[in-house]
Amino acid sequence: MSLPILLLILFAFLLVGLLAWALRTPERPVKPAVDVFEALSRTRHCSRISHVMQALQPQDTEYLRETGQLELMQTLRRQRRRIALNYLDQLQSEFEELLEISRVLAVMSPQVTGMQEMNRWKLGLSFSTNCAVLRWKLRLRLQPFSSFTLLSKMATGIARQLEMATTRIAEAAVRGSEPFPPGNRNIGGP
Amino acid sequence: MVEPLQLQAAAWALTTTLELALFVQLVRRKLGRTYPLFFAYLLAVILQSIAVALLYRDANLDKMTVWKMAWGTQGMAVIMRSLALVELSRKVLSRYVGIWGLASRVLLCVAAVVLGYDLALSKGQWQWLILNGVRGLELAMAAVIVTILIFARYYRIPVSQLQRALAVGLCLYSSFYVINYSLLEKIVQEYAVLWNFLGIIAFIASLLVWIGAASRYAESEETVPLPAMSPELHGELSSELNTRLYLLNRQLIQLLRLKDRVQ
Repeated sequence: MSLPILLLILFAFLLVGLLAWALRTPERPVKPAVDVFEALSRTRHCSRISHVMQALQPQDTEYLRETGQLELMQTLRRQRRRIALNYLDQLQSEFEELLEISRVLAVMSPQVTGMQEMNRWKLGLSFSTNCAVLRWKLRLRLQPFSSFTLLSKMATGIARQLEMATTRIAEAAVRGSEPFPPGNRNIGGP
Repeated sequence: MVEPLQLQAAAWALTTTLELALFVQLVRRKLGRTYPLFFAYLLAVILQSIAVALLYRDANLDKMTVWKMAWGTQGMAVIMRSLALVELSRKVLSRYVGIWGLASRVLLCVAAVVLGYDLALSKGQWQWLILNGVRGLELAMAAVIVTILIFARYYRIPVSQLQRALAVGLCLYSSFYVINYSLLEKIVQEYAVLWNFLGIIAFIASLLVWIGAASRYAESEETVPLPAMSPELHGELSSELNTRLYLLNRQLIQLLRLKDRVQ
């Protein structure tokens, strides 16, 4: 049997597998459209990153080492690792929620740009991969405590940017939810 | 012991009975009006069964003529199935204008690539062109169905039980046809009767899935789409969301890089 035919057969089997996957019940329930705008205006976990990072300052553990409280230092490191993992979970959950919102918006929109959707999909894939890698690194205790200081500085800037983005979205949502003449079902329609 | 040809004849009889049962269910539930092209496809399949039975009964016709005519009816059935699939994709996605605009382009691309690849295997020989064309169409249909369902899953678009059943039945039959035909073509010509029988079994399975869904069908299954949104608002919200997603991703990448730097 030639390779092209073999590829055809494998593709057919792959399609059957994908069919089974596509028919599975989604893990998260479908979000009603109204919830989308509510979810957009909600406070984000990542806005608290500076507090989380503050709690992970490496100087704290260095100080304990110098004073000979090695056991306490190890306990603190364990806790910090747990905090970092928890933070990562929140970050991922927030990212997934935003992706979910973007899908609901796309479903409601009369025009969807393929490139934008593709970019978002690629971003989602990249984020999930990075999250998994980072999670494993933390679990394998490869976590460098000192690096969180740099992250703290960076996070403050990002949180500010996110806040600005949230405000702009809220403004756009308010503009779009103004009342329409009877019979016009379009949200934000002319 | 039952002869393979007798078994095949029994399977044919069962297939026709099930086709008629599905026909009755579609008429009873008034689904002929909701899914007219699928209904037409079923009628075409019933007519094909009758035509093929008459062709094989006629001893005066030579084998080549019977073979060509049988494949002609198969071609017609495949075209009708393609139309039924177009109808199904419209039913599932066309209420969501933006998604439908994107999905229709993607579906056309998927179908064209798959069909093109399969036709390229014919290497210009017309007899293989027709047979491979049918296989290519079947594979393209299976790929399109899976793409529709992936779209529906990704965008959380509701798909009714009946639509799911139609998709599963069409996809399983098409996939099995491709596997069956590809293996038959190259490896197991001597087991042609067995493979034909397995093909009928796959179709029987699809018919049973459709009958089950049609008998459970209720009009309340039809879903209400979400309200529409202006392109301007969507564009604005969408780009803001993308900005936020990029920021979150950047945050994560920075985390990763920091860790690598220290190691």
